[in-house]
Amino acid sequence: MARTIGIDLGTTNSCVAVLDDKGQPRILASADGERTMPSWVSWSAAGQIAVGARARRQGVTNAAATVYGAKRLIGRKVNADDVSWFARLAPFRIVAAPNGDAWVRVHGQPISPQEIAAHILRAVRKIAEDSLGEPVTRAVVTVPAYFDDAQRQATRDAGQIAGLDVIRILNEPTAAALAYGAHRVSEGRRRIAVFDLGGGTFDISIMSVENGIFEVLATGGDSALGGEDWDRRVLERLVDEVFDQTRVDLTTIPMAMSRLREACEAAKKALSVDREAVISLPFLADDAHGAAINFERTITRELLETLTKDLLDRLESPCRRALADAGLTPDDVEEVLLVGGMTRSPAVQDVVERMFHRKPSKGANPDEVVALGAAQYAGILTGESDDAALLDVTPHDLGIRVGDSQFAVVLPRNSMLPCRARRLFATTADNQKFVSIELYQGDSSDVAKNRKLGQVTLDDLPPGPAGSARVELVITVNVESILSVTAREIRSGREASVTIRPSGGLSQREIVEIITRRRHEHAALSMPDPAPTGGGVRVTTREHLVGPSDPAAPDAQTAPDAPVSPEPDPEPS
Amino acid sequence: MAEGALSIKLRCASWQQLATIYKRDLSHGTMFLKAATPPAIGTNVRIDLALPSATVIALSGVVQTHVNDPQRGAGVELKLAPIPTGTVWLIESALAAEHKRATTQAIAVPLSGAHAMTGLIPTIGENAELTAAEDDLIKALTSEAESLKKLNPFLVLGVGYEASDSDVRAAFGELTKRYHPDRFARYESPDLRQIAAEIFILIRDAYRRLGDATARAQVLHTLGKHAPAPRAVAGPPRATPAVPPPPRTQRMPVIPLVPAPPAPPPPPASAPPARPASERRPAGRTGEGGTDSRAGSVRRLASEPGVIRPPASQAGAIGDPGDVSAIEALIDHGRLDEALAAYKAITKKHPQDRNLRAGVELCEGLLALAARDRLEAAQRFETALEIDPSNERAARELADMRRQATNERKGLLSRLMGKKEP
Repeated sequence: MARTIGIDLGTTNSCVAVLDDKGQPRILASADGERTMPSWVSWSAAGQIAVGARARRQGVTNAAATVYGAKRLIGRKVNADDVSWFARLAPFRIVAAPNGDAWVRVHGQPISPQEIAAHILRAVRKIAEDSLGEPVTRAVVTVPAYFDDAQRQATRDAGQIAGLDVIRILNEPTAAALAYGAHRVSEGRRRIAVFDLGGGTFDISIMSVENGIFEVLATGGDSALGGEDWDRRVLERLVDEVFDQTRVDLTTIPMAMSRLREACEAAKKALSVDREAVISLPFLADDAHGAAINFERTITRELLETLTKDLLDRLESPCRRALADAGLTPDDVEEVLLVGGMTRSPAVQDVVERMFHRKPSKGANPDEVVALGAAQYAGILTGESDDAALLDVTPHDLGIRVGDSQFAVVLPRNSMLPCRARRLFATTADNQKFVSIELYQGDSSDVAKNRKLGQVTLDDLPPGPAGSARVELVITVNVESILSVTAREIRSGREASVTIRPSGGLSQREIVEIITRRRHEHAALSMPDPAPTGGGVRVTTREHLVGPSDPAAPDAQTAPDAPVSPEPDPEPS
Repeated sequence: MAEGALSIKLRCASWQQLATIYKRDLSHGTMFLKAATPPAIGTNVRIDLALPSATVIALSGVVQTHVNDPQRGAGVELKLAPIPTGTVWLIESALAAEHKRATTQAIAVPLSGAHAMTGLIPTIGENAELTAAEDDLIKALTSEAESLKKLNPFLVLGVGYEASDSDVRAAFGELTKRYHPDRFARYESPDLRQIAAEIFILIRDAYRRLGDATARAQVLHTLGKHAPAPRAVAGPPRATPAVPPPPRTQRMPVIPLVPAPPAPPPPPASAPPARPASERRPAGRTGEGGTDSRAGSVRRLASEPGVIRPPASQAGAIGDPGDVSAIEALIDHGRLDEALAAYKAITKKHPQDRNLRAGVELCEGLLALAARDRLEAAQRFETALEIDPSNERAARELADMRRQATNERKGLLSRLMGKKEP
């Protein structure tokens, strides 16, 4: 039977699940019995790629060519605040692509986060194929609810590079609620909050669950706040301490940084259970006199909480806003679900309890529940389970630029998908000939802080004084978050419309190039010959299929031969 | 799709079949199709190729030559449009995984040469019933969307004017399970998914407008109804804002566009004649086979004179639009012919009265329904609604017919699904 897998593509760990023959989701374990796989990719000097636990083990010895946290970079600009922070402490180099996107440089080669995510997806797909004993081509992939269109599209592109047909991008908290709520039917209407604090992202979703209908009432979060920030705080503190004591800047020594980072993460995890943790790293580095630094430090829970107090504070305002958007008070929420490894922290659980006036539920395994929900959603889409439906929302306001820099919202955030909204606008100049409608997504009233999605121009407006021409703008968003925009002048009936396909930063041509490269590598390694005859065919195939007239490569404006400008790299200050 | 183009659905049951097709046809940018009566050279063909993993690949091509191969039989050779690299990669990586699996498990059955050639040669007309079922479904959904557009939010959700929050939610949940675009994600036709989304948007908008008591009262007011008597404690306002979304902040932007004042409210529906409270009950019952078929049961009762309180007089006595209630009583008692005659008579006197003209159409529609001419009936009801959007009875009849169409569509759906997942 054809299976569609559900993939939780996490910042630190990824996980895959599928519906079994009885319609129950189950996690697919790797050949070593691991149920989650570290989202790490490593390149050896010879160009061999390792993914998962093997890559993570190379994090110390091969730190500069071992990449983690690609999800923090995917679909992002290199100059975003959190990206530059991440770059400062990451042992690998983060560089700017020509369009300003954050890429990674490994062995002198620029690599897009999409390609790194594709390696992870490919490895996850292989786990599923080995476990199911059949090829897998279809997947539902989860992303944080707060991801914008570019980040979502970049994730889809990663799927395409991995040879997967990503049938839907699903929000992580929604997936978690689905996995959680699917077992509890007919309890009447329940309003739940899903508090999802993962390795790199924070999401809060307020949902109503009733009779198999999972309706998202509001969603909010911070796509750049997660467990790694807690690690980083400890790491920064220890780097400073080492510098104060020895005048050695560890940030210039990738191997030391990797060891310290691992130790900080381990200490943070230990502090969820114990009151103190010891970090002991002999021979961490050499000081100015060539003597070894044997690092040893005890970290208490109090120290961790002091260092991360402002991070805890940052959890509160998205919760408040989501509750307000849902029109609920904390007491209306009947249950709070915890998702993501970071929610094991007692300090985080205290914040949850304070925000929602109740103790959170701890039934589900926070590392696996998202993948289980994704598998369940795959079942809804393929028709295997038809007693549930999921109603998700737009995470950000959608609107147009008016005046110089103001943002007029046409479709407010938290609108149920699919949806359509109309709004009338009027011309502002006498005899105005045309209007140029620029579409933005974001939550700021200043368009410059939002992300531009596209534009449509309506010309040949009928002459008349300012305000006489009225333009009706209709925005339609489908369940896959594809936008179409129609502008119509009321009197003349003139119309212009555009369908906006979000861009994840890579052009279709760049994606095709990456795929072509991988197909060649693949062919060199293991390309099978399905029928024994005609070995020469494949060459013609490729030429035919990847000819210059390839319709998949319509935009040629990006120069493919120079995907990344050599400089500037962000300064490790 | 262009007129005269062919549409073919092709399902690979095994990866070996796909390997054969890929190697023999796709990799050359061609495709051989068996056909007893080959289509003309130059005909456009769309092929939906479903892999064993259920991924559907859309191919398109043009009939290039007619061939008569002794080995493969008569057919046509298509020239395919270039296949996107991403798709090729998807097929190749799946075949590679299958190959690896087969070799490691050593259960691969090598394809004999002859088998490889004939393993899977699609025939034009294969799965034709599937294509047809999809077309039927699109047609049915399109007409449903059209009729939904004419209804007020209560009728769209099929709830009564006195419905509570939980009634509205339950009705919405029911319709969501039936119409949410995710339900249609499994069908490859983009048209089908598009029209499903259109229907769901109508349902969603109705839900938004009725979702809480305050909004509901407003809708009732525009419809000229009174809010139901004592309302239970209203819950807090829902998340979704009322329509149209109010500008978040009041400000006066300058160039090049300014938000115009919101569109004028829809023209107030001409107030329908007041109805007894007992009549305000859930719309959407009945037709043939419904449960609480008031119209139907009255029709049946019409032969029992004892039950009927005959209308005050015959058609001749009805002279002005004020007597509409008398005619409605006739309809209530199933005397459709008389009602029609009465409506026609007074319409002559008041040719501009929309209520009356709609009444004529309504009676015609009810008569058609009694004669089991559903197409005619639906058209009559729709005309009645176009003339007079406040004609509640026509709207209700349409809603009933729609409900019935939904049940029939379930048959269509299962035909499609049954084929897909045997």
